[in-house]
Amino acid sequence: MATNFWSSSHYKRWIVDRSTLHQARSDDLQYVDNPEYLGFLNIFFANLISKLGKKLQLRQRVIATATVFFRRFYVKNSYCETDPFIVIAACCYVAAKAEESPVHIKNVVSEARMLFGEEYGIKSFPSDNSKLAEMEFYLVDELECDLTIFHPYRTLMTLCGKEGGGAVPEAEAGEADADDVDGLRYWGTGEGKLELQEGALQMAWFIINDTYRSELCLLYPPHLIAIAAIYLTLVFHAQTRTSIQQSASSSHSHSGSSHPSHSGSPTRRSSRSTSHSQKKQHHQQDVIGFMAGLNVSMSLVATIAQEIISLLG
Amino acid sequence: MDNNLLVSDPMRVYRAKRDAARKRVTDKYAILGFISSGTYGRVYKAQSKDVDGRIHAIKKFKPDKEGDVITYTGISQSAIREIALNREITHENIVALKEVILEDKSIYMVFEYAEHDFLQVIHHHSQTLRSQISLAVLKSLTYQLLNGLLYLHDAHIIHRDLKPANILITSSGVVKIGDLGLARLTHQPLQPLFAGDKVVVTIWYRAPELLLGAKHYNKSIDIWAVGCVMAELASLRPIFKGEEAKLDSKKNVPFQKDQLLKIFEVLGTPSEREWPKIKDLPEYQCMRRLDHYSNRLQEWSQSRVRSHEGANLLKELFAYDPDRRLTAGEALQHKWFQEDPLPSRNAFESLSTQQVPPHRRITQDDAPSMMPVAAVGSQVQGQGQVSHMQATGQAHLSQQLSHSHSNHSGKAGSAASFASVSGGGGGPSRKKARLG
Repeated sequence: MATNFWSSSHYKRWIVDRSTLHQARSDDLQYVDNPEYLGFLNIFFANLISKLGKKLQLRQRVIATATVFFRRFYVKNSYCETDPFIVIAACCYVAAKAEESPVHIKNVVSEARMLFGEEYGIKSFPSDNSKLAEMEFYLVDELECDLTIFHPYRTLMTLCGKEGGGAVPEAEAGEADADDVDGLRYWGTGEGKLELQEGALQMAWFIINDTYRSELCLLYPPHLIAIAAIYLTLVFHAQTRTSIQQSASSSHSHSGSSHPSHSGSPTRRSSRSTSHSQKKQHHQQDVIGFMAGLNVSMSLVATIAQEIISLLG
Repeated sequence: MDNNLLVSDPMRVYRAKRDAARKRVTDKYAILGFISSGTYGRVYKAQSKDVDGRIHAIKKFKPDKEGDVITYTGISQSAIREIALNREITHENIVALKEVILEDKSIYMVFEYAEHDFLQVIHHHSQTLRSQISLAVLKSLTYQLLNGLLYLHDAHIIHRDLKPANILITSSGVVKIGDLGLARLTHQPLQPLFAGDKVVVTIWYRAPELLLGAKHYNKSIDIWAVGCVMAELASLRPIFKGEEAKLDSKKNVPFQKDQLLKIFEVLGTPSEREWPKIKDLPEYQCMRRLDHYSNRLQEWSQSRVRSHEGANLLKELFAYDPDRRLTAGEALQHKWFQEDPLPSRNAFESLSTQQVPPHRRITQDDAPSMMPVAAVGSQVQGQGQVSHMQATGQAHLSQQLSHSHSNHSGKAGSAASFASVSGGGGGPSRKKARLG
């Protein structure tokens, strides 16, 4: 289960289409002048979940799970008929349990009251633990008890993660136990991984964080979101992009032998024929092959990448 | 006024809407009787009011009370686990969750019904038939148990509470692993496993690395428990029936001396040669102060397991070193399962009708909310009935829970014989692994 997305409740019951999302917002739309505002609400609430999660010292994955719970709740409900603040608190509370790192209900109530009251002027948040517990009860019901969530982080680490992965907090990268390796598999062995530069992995991680501000997690399987984030990283991360371009042009200059080197640096680089840089170069050239070898719909990945860009823009 | 209410409880309208839309448990199921209870709550036998009229077991989690008032205090970690895991898995050898109903501050999990369980089969043989479980049945039950466990382990789930009472069998002889309340995912945990639950697995089925205080453990703890269960099916008594040392006032986990001794008496004292990492375990020094035993498992198995290959399988399930213990997949490939009698999909296939264990006993319930109103009667009568029913329920339970003990006192024995090893002394009752 934890290994097979295709047999999970996440895949079977919780990937929805745009018309479902549109339908879900139909009541709310009556109250806004511009439908775009609802998109802003998506961002606002995601930030709020993130803030509360950080106050509760939840890990990124727990915050992501809480956000998915929140989005799922509002596939079936409208903002105007509910109190998103108590829903947010309940999402964090349940997510912490679902991810096996529970926090005490008292803490959730007091941190939520403080955050919402002091920073957002929301005075209605109940001080009574049982109110939050009541919301939890309704939330779990709305979620149809599907509490296991797959996240793009996992695909990212599977495809690009390093041992002890420097850029990303080690524990976030997952402490997969070594004896989990059953049968034939190459993942987790480091073989076939895309080696991202220092900082690039972190950028991909941050792009994934940002996707939770939208409804992407309801629309697309997490592994495609991860691949879109990797793709964007290859383009956005300056050093990575430069080295891809360099290796592309240097391979050009190798094939077209008469071509004089256009700038100093690529030639210098290729002339420094230590085994290390050769290996690195070879690797960089492989990026396109790596992406192609993933055997996923690239047009879908491109669509997701577009949506992420419009979210960031 | 209205406005005030909205401010003080903006979710009122939402809840009213949800409550009105929700089907109640008793709309969907007719409760037939009470099966058992535990720390988590109570289990009922129920019949679906659908046309199929299927029988189910409904597990009702105990609602939390503040004084006499039932109130919301938050869903327990174990309920969240059991629900979350069960929603994701389907396998013939795992009890299937049909649905979960959240109603009136209580959680109801509706499971497929299983007529028997391992403990009941053991009792039926030790009390009624007064004979060993036949090799064909023993092998089929063990095989199916391993098959279900393989599925869980492949899904990165450790069960952490395997024991005869948690392993069910349908009337058509199919094994169903139940009670995932202590189970958890081990894939990329955010916290080490020990951080969540200090004590896992009921003491008699607890692996030696846990008894020696290991902070890191893995699936192989379930394999040890399977060894214990298989041995218990073979001998009709728990093989390592130790006394659990209680937690001290600071909730420190004590050294489980007696349980370790019970294991050593049969398997011998573990050596660094067979288990190199043993010297790194927290309780290793304590263990070294215990008397030294030699391995007598072969002798133990002879009359009980009745098969050379079967005894060999048991030996490999009981490997001290968790890294050398068989995996569920390896165990299923064991030669014992390839020789006659072959394991069968209906574990009871070879049995005559009177050899098949009797149906699960159900009693009337003492929790009126789950029973048809007529069965409860008037207030005063109801009271009497309630206490009576409770008594029946408890009698039933204690019958389930108690093993017959010969009154040998082989306690903490240094030179205990096999009889006292397996017969136990005075006999602690089966303890839940869970802590409050």
